[in-house]
Amino acid sequence: MFSEFKHSLRRLRGQIIGWGIGLAIYGVLMVSLFDSIVGIEGFEQLIASYPPEIMAFFGDFMAITTPIGYIDIYYFTYMTFIIGIFAASAGASLVAADEEKGILDLVMAHPISRTSLFLGRLLGFMTATAVILLIGWLSWAIPSGGTDLELTWIEFLRPFLPLYGVLILFGTLAAVLSLLLPSSRSAGALSGGLLVANFLLTGLANINEDLKTIVKYTPLNYYQGGDAVRGINWEWLGGMLAVSAVFALIAWWRFQRRDIRVGGEGGWRLPLVRRRALRKHGSNLKEPA
Amino acid sequence: MNDSTAILIKGLIKSYGYVQALRGVDLEVKQGEIFGFLGPNGAGKTTTIRCMLDLIRPQGGTISILGKDPQEDPVWVRAQVGYLPGELSMESNLRVENQLRYYSDLRRNRIDWNYVHELADRLELDLAMPIKNLSKGNKQKVGVVQALMPRPKILLLDEPTAGLDPLMQQEVYRLLREAKNNGATVFFSTHIMSEAEALAERVAIIREGVIVEEAEPSQLVSMVMRRVRIRFRQPVDVAPLTSIEGVSILSQSNGNNIRLQVEGEMDDLIRALAEFPVSDLETEHPSLEEIFLTYYKAGD
Repeated sequence: MFSEFKHSLRRLRGQIIGWGIGLAIYGVLMVSLFDSIVGIEGFEQLIASYPPEIMAFFGDFMAITTPIGYIDIYYFTYMTFIIGIFAASAGASLVAADEEKGILDLVMAHPISRTSLFLGRLLGFMTATAVILLIGWLSWAIPSGGTDLELTWIEFLRPFLPLYGVLILFGTLAAVLSLLLPSSRSAGALSGGLLVANFLLTGLANINEDLKTIVKYTPLNYYQGGDAVRGINWEWLGGMLAVSAVFALIAWWRFQRRDIRVGGEGGWRLPLVRRRALRKHGSNLKEPA
Repeated sequence: MNDSTAILIKGLIKSYGYVQALRGVDLEVKQGEIFGFLGPNGAGKTTTIRCMLDLIRPQGGTISILGKDPQEDPVWVRAQVGYLPGELSMESNLRVENQLRYYSDLRRNRIDWNYVHELADRLELDLAMPIKNLSKGNKQKVGVVQALMPRPKILLLDEPTAGLDPLMQQEVYRLLREAKNNGATVFFSTHIMSEAEALAERVAIIREGVIVEEAEPSQLVSMVMRRVRIRFRQPVDVAPLTSIEGVSILSQSNGNNIRLQVEGEMDDLIRALAEFPVSDLETEHPSLEEIFLTYYKAGD
């Protein structure tokens, strides 16, 4: 398992560096802009003049001039689906992408169990996500010293934990989908799409009360965002990690049972494939034993 | 199964949806032999090999590799096996050496790197090259090296010389014979008859998911069919010869010369010919390739 974990991290190295640099630049930029933005004369009146729908979409929009409101609206609200792109694509690629390329065939012919391979890769994905968020956290915590963003390093760290929970949840969802759908790309796109849809639905539920009955069944309803600076809701975070564990278990179970495919196998159009095969082989085809 | 059996397959059945790839494959390979697995594309060669490694799961039948069931103990079985897939895919961004080191990691680093370098030298493979820059033949060399480098007890090779030039093919044959001499069992699939004749001690022919013949290449050639040319001293009526089981006339000219095809043993034909004024008789063995084609035409 450790060799696969090491290998996964090595493969995700480029993504860790790319996302890390992006988050670091964005974090440092937002920290440095805080004093300027809240110091703008008439900023609060400007915000108050925004359409009420936009204000409601982002929750407590007037809190933007406070440190917690600022990091919530300018960072943690968006980060779910921005880094969610990484989580969905990495989760979907956990094993299915290598399978589609035919790489997994030779890897699995080595003395490694399916469980070890899956766990090694899952841990690699979780560690890579943690490292990216760690860089994000440091990009806020380190430069904040000379600004009015008067939060401690621990307070900066807290909202990153629920964000980690969301990313792991959608990453493991993508992993499950990649083992159910015929391609890892469709799994990544679907889980990413669900994440964005959930984001929009959560925002719209602040405008339309009727949507709240649906939203309470979605993960982002239990995502604290910047509000976690005040304290983490461990039940929500635990619930998200528990659902992630269930997704990971389903993905593991599917991987245990399935045939390792090689390039070109699998697809949506099974009835069509069957018709073509019947036409080609005629009576030589029999029902599976 | 006895101690000398490396691979034992009984009644193996595997379907992909409605396509039945294997319909009851039976096979026994002894330890230390080089076994050729012949068949055209889609006959079930790759499916059989992938079942042996628990990469795919059969719907019926049993497999035993050195006495263990690959589904029950896949890690142990794979530790004994070096595998070369028919469709070789590797991580294109890695250099050859890093790719091999990853495979070595998966084998808990029980690899002799001096041997890896020796293999690379013999196959003229540059370990510093990125995989993505390699030609098909050079990628195949990486596949051969990774299969041989753990000095496995069993080599499962799916078309091992695909894409290699004739010189490299000969080098691979030498490497496989050396592996055999060191005690390894070599099981390779191919549709190249000359490869099977050059390398295999025994061969099996698979057609539409069933083993249709299993024998030594020389036995296969002698047991399946012969062509017989007979010259008689005078024109004769050959009707009695055609009534012999397995004998058919291929051609006949002016009553003196006849070409027959004989399937199976020659005893009955020779006894019958004692009644004829035979001046010359010549038998001709078909090549393994012709036999192979005969088996396949029989299925059409």
